Amino acid sequence: MTAHRSRRRRAAVLTAVVSLAAAACSHQAPNSIFNAHSDFGQVLDGLTNRLLFLAAIVFVLVEGLLLFVIWRYRARPGNTEAKQLHGNTRLEIAWTLVPAILLALIAVPTVRTIFRTEAPAPANSLRVEVIGHQWWWEFRYPDLGVVTANELYLPVGRTAAFDLKTQDVLHSFWIPQLAGGKRDLITNHTNHLWFTPESTFVWNGFCAEYCGASHANMRFRVFTVSPAQFDQWVAHQKSGPVTVAAATPPAGGASAPAPAAQPAPDTATGTFPVADLPGYIVPNTPLPPGAEVPVTQGDAQRGAQLFRTNACIACHTIQGVSPGVVGPNLTHVGSRTTIGAGLYPNDMRHLEAWIKHSEALKPGSKMPPMGKGLPGAMGQLDDQQIADIAAYLSSLK
Amino acid sequence: MATTVAVPSHAEAHEAAPGGIWGWLTTVDHKRIGQLYLYSALFLFLVGGVEALLIRIQLWHPNGTFVTAQTYNELFTMHGTTMIFMVIMPLSAAFFNYLIPLQIGARDVAFPRLNAFSYWVFIMGALFMNAGWFIHAAPDGGWFGYAPLTTRPFSPTLHIDFWVIGLQILGVSSLAAAFNFLTTIINMRAPGMHFMRMPIFTWMAFITQFLLALAFPIITVAVTFLMLDRFFGTQFYEIAAGADPLLWQHLFWLFGHPEVYILILPAFGLVSEVLPIFSRKPLFGYPVMVYSGILIAFLGYGVWAHHMFAVGMGPIADSIFGITTMLIAIPTGVKIFNWLGTMWGGTLRFSTACLFAIGLVALFTIGGLSGVMHSSPPSDLAQTDSYFIVAHFHYVLFGGSMMGLFAGLYFFYPKITGRLMSETLGKWHFWLTFIGMNLTFFPMHFAGLEGMPRRIYRYDANQGWDIWNNLSTWGAFILAVSVIIFVVNFLWSRRRGAIAGNDPWGGATLEWTIPSPPPDYNFATIPTVTSRYPLWDARSPRLTSDVPHTAAGEQAVEVDVAGKHVGDTRFPADTERNAPSVPLTAAQLGIHMPSPTIKPFTTALGLTVMFIGLIHHKSLPIMFLGVAIFLVSLYSWVLSPVEPEH
Amino acid sequence: MATAIPAGSHPAAQHHYSSTGLDNIKIAIWAFIGSECFFFGSLISTYLVYKGRSVVGPFPHTAWTNPATGQTLHAILNIPVTSVSTFVLLMSSLAMVLAHGAVVRGDRKYSRIWLLATALLGATFLGFQCYEFTSFVHEGLTIKTNLFGSSFFILTGFHGAHVTAGVIWLLTLFFVDMKRGLQPRDAVNVDICALYWHFVDVVWIAIFTLVYLIK
Repeated sequence: MTAHRSRRRRAAVLTAVVSLAAAACSHQAPNSIFNAHSDFGQVLDGLTNRLLFLAAIVFVLVEGLLLFVIWRYRARPGNTEAKQLHGNTRLEIAWTLVPAILLALIAVPTVRTIFRTEAPAPANSLRVEVIGHQWWWEFRYPDLGVVTANELYLPVGRTAAFDLKTQDVLHSFWIPQLAGGKRDLITNHTNHLWFTPESTFVWNGFCAEYCGASHANMRFRVFTVSPAQFDQWVAHQKSGPVTVAAATPPAGGASAPAPAAQPAPDTATGTFPVADLPGYIVPNTPLPPGAEVPVTQGDAQRGAQLFRTNACIACHTIQGVSPGVVGPNLTHVGSRTTIGAGLYPNDMRHLEAWIKHSEALKPGSKMPPMGKGLPGAMGQLDDQQIADIAAYLSSLK
Repeated sequence: MATTVAVPSHAEAHEAAPGGIWGWLTTVDHKRIGQLYLYSALFLFLVGGVEALLIRIQLWHPNGTFVTAQTYNELFTMHGTTMIFMVIMPLSAAFFNYLIPLQIGARDVAFPRLNAFSYWVFIMGALFMNAGWFIHAAPDGGWFGYAPLTTRPFSPTLHIDFWVIGLQILGVSSLAAAFNFLTTIINMRAPGMHFMRMPIFTWMAFITQFLLALAFPIITVAVTFLMLDRFFGTQFYEIAAGADPLLWQHLFWLFGHPEVYILILPAFGLVSEVLPIFSRKPLFGYPVMVYSGILIAFLGYGVWAHHMFAVGMGPIADSIFGITTMLIAIPTGVKIFNWLGTMWGGTLRFSTACLFAIGLVALFTIGGLSGVMHSSPPSDLAQTDSYFIVAHFHYVLFGGSMMGLFAGLYFFYPKITGRLMSETLGKWHFWLTFIGMNLTFFPMHFAGLEGMPRRIYRYDANQGWDIWNNLSTWGAFILAVSVIIFVVNFLWSRRRGAIAGNDPWGGATLEWTIPSPPPDYNFATIPTVTSRYPLWDARSPRLTSDVPHTAAGEQAVEVDVAGKHVGDTRFPADTERNAPSVPLTAAQLGIHMPSPTIKPFTTALGLTVMFIGLIHHKSLPIMFLGVAIFLVSLYSWVLSPVEPEH
Repeated sequence: MATAIPAGSHPAAQHHYSSTGLDNIKIAIWAFIGSECFFFGSLISTYLVYKGRSVVGPFPHTAWTNPATGQTLHAILNIPVTSVSTFVLLMSSLAMVLAHGAVVRGDRKYSRIWLLATALLGATFLGFQCYEFTSFVHEGLTIKTNLFGSSFFILTGFHGAHVTAGVIWLLTLFFVDMKRGLQPRDAVNVDICALYWHFVDVVWIAIFTLVYLIK
């Protein structure tokens, strides 16, 4: 982690030099494209730094020359007669050739980098399918049989090869601090991107291609973990959710009390310890006015029942419970850190508000509000029922 | 400063033209049409500016709630569409209209009625697209309108319909204007004005017309497909039918990149007019300026896919388009250096026009350098669709195009109105624009490099972006103040500005030989041109002593400098007739001018009504009415002569 | 060029001065044709890009069996018929040349005959196209059917619209000739119509080759 922090400081320092702002030394840039933590990101960095360096030199020379000319040749008592010259062939050839040479200095590494980064991924890469939806991310690990949403787990040191697809409109897959570069998700195409994460941490990801109403709300998190932790995570994802409720057969008559919502031990789920998350990972999106649900205690057992008997199952998969594929897979939703595609922290308060008012929390959301009597609502759930479902979902570790 | 002819009675110059609203609706005078373009574009500049300001207020702080997501998406879509198609292009068109005939020594454009038609189509298209605001259906798909988001399944309501049809109408206007100006420049230059004697603005305008004529058909096809998909069920962008969204992107950017040069070349031309005058020197490297403009336009057709480096075109395409994009930096750099060369050794007078021109040189350089940064595809993967790009193209379009157009406006305002704009207010305008512009857009570079995506209506706190957005919004307020000062100056100077005279700046080209504002016929005698700078030949021959002239032989006045023969000009002989102290009317001079006519207006109206019918539930009666108005007007227009029979 | 200008003043009345010696309208039509090249270029490119990418039939050159119904739709393009209509359109260009020649000579009889002949040949081509479109619709291909249907109908449809405009233009010239007679000084008006007509003809040759002949 210390190595990581010092990189972050270096990134900040570089940005500060670029910005010529001394104040920027203390400035946090958690999504900077500089000092990206992957092989791919570093290759891009090298090129961008070279470009920035050349651009800075040309900037200083041209603007300096401009300032000099303005100052030196301003009309003033000593300068009343303009020198008459209408051109100078040698000069003009010079300032055609010099930029050409500078551009060659860019073109050669550019082409080299293009062929290096767009080569096929190494054979033993971890295959991940990224499927864009309006407005959330589906992540599939076809070789591991894992399907999840909005939170991507990658092992450090192993190349991850992404197949990028979209279910609807165009999106773009971007993790600035990890990969640096982005790649678009194009309808009726499969795009490719691969990189090898180099440090364990958690990163912000964004949709970078305008995709409609909630383009701004289409975010995700990437957790780069040790290979051992990754294996734990995979094993956990493949198993059913760790909750009594899900294990209960669908035939009602639930008798066992719901377990108190407590964080599952990381060793069991392989998830990242939430307490370690930095501030810029935990969403701060405010709830819209009036969205709070007053009930704070829910019963997961009743919630499980409600989930099965309401519209929820039409869109969401919970392993062993429901097969819906329209919305995100919720099998392990309780172990995620955020909901609504990285928009809100995953806690009772926000889950309740989300279930009741999804459209108000996320404009254009394809999930209709489930609260009773709300405009456009699909469900007829009262606040207690919503709290019960939220408790159930929270328990799905 | 060159001598100016006695104060012209500029008020009388318009006496001949019919007044009132009818006069404006029926005018075919390129100067009045130019003014219509100018006023319309400036009004739409305010509209687009207010949209920008609302965007900046929304992004002032993290998780802003000033506008809704939907409204924000409409705002950024319409801000982009407005500024590109309804502000910078028509402002350029205002200068094309006003200046090209004056600079080439013609009495009007080649097809005066087609010219009026272009304007009316433009303003109706602009009003049409903005009408969406009033029924909560403003376009919301981005100015680039990427399919399949803009297809019916993903955008079922009227929003995109307004955009598609509005763009279609605006395209007709640009195409008609391009054919007109191409013909005008090719065929109506005054005797002796061969191509390498054309004023540099006319040259850049000429190149721009080629770009318009050859780029707009492509967007017309792309938009027609989308329109047919949305209204008539074709499958061009229907993903369920196996359509390829990249078809739209290729067609759009095949138009879209030449469009970038359509937006910037006129401003380059204006700056190339302004800098020599205020340096008291001829343009440095005129031929190179011309050739670099041609080269930029030519290469502009081979770089479109650099807008698509993230779509996965494969390494070969990425390499080719990366390198062609880098190549385009060379002629652009040459222009910057030649402007520096123009100023070098001059005696610079910092009028407001000159300040804006220098502003373009300074700020376009920044936009150009960031442009080179994303010419490299791998590096572009990090920059594209981030705020870095927003910073880049605002340096190019605001720091470049708008600065150049403002320079042109301060420079040619006296020719258009007969009065000078206030230099005091002008300097306030310039400095606030310069400061506000940099404060708004420079921080966006950092926001982008720090990972802020474009087109997001809100962003979370703690991402490191707060400071940059805060600065940008303050910059936008400063820009708003600068625009208010400009508007005040523009309106105040119209009535109270100092009388300009024919040639307030010591100009070199034909437009400065005639009264301000010019009479409807422009030139009482069509001048014969023997050099690039006819007025300087006559008035300050030392300025053009080593600029090539026509060889002696024509009946010409010889120009001697310090006993050395340097050139000939016919100019002084014509001056008295062209700039008499009391302008004569066309009738007194026996000049036949085109008759005013309402037909271009009704033809444009028919076209617009037809499209209104399409958007209004495909209402056949309205569409047929539109077609009928269009065809009747067009036929009666085509079969009636331009001028009264004589 | 400057040397070609006679020295001396240019009287105000001579404001139809032309730098190139050509009529304005002739330069404009060339600009228009240049622009149209990009228009049709985009349409043809779209057709070619979408060639073979339709999910369902009918297809232009191959048969297709609907997996749901088992119904087989044969290849839809009828090349022999279209070859005839192509020949008709080519002949109309010849007639156009003869009409222009007649107007330049001031031969009113032949100018009328050939103008009308050009228009009628163009109209015949349009008749073929109407027949073709109708039969395609009967065979199950509309603009909504598949990518081929959309790109084919819109490409050939825009060409047909251009031919229609040309026929109306020719008929207008014909009626002007009937009414007052086209003089040699009107030759430029026939000339630009001819340029347009030949251009539309050339575009058809490109379409016929790329859409119909190349499989």
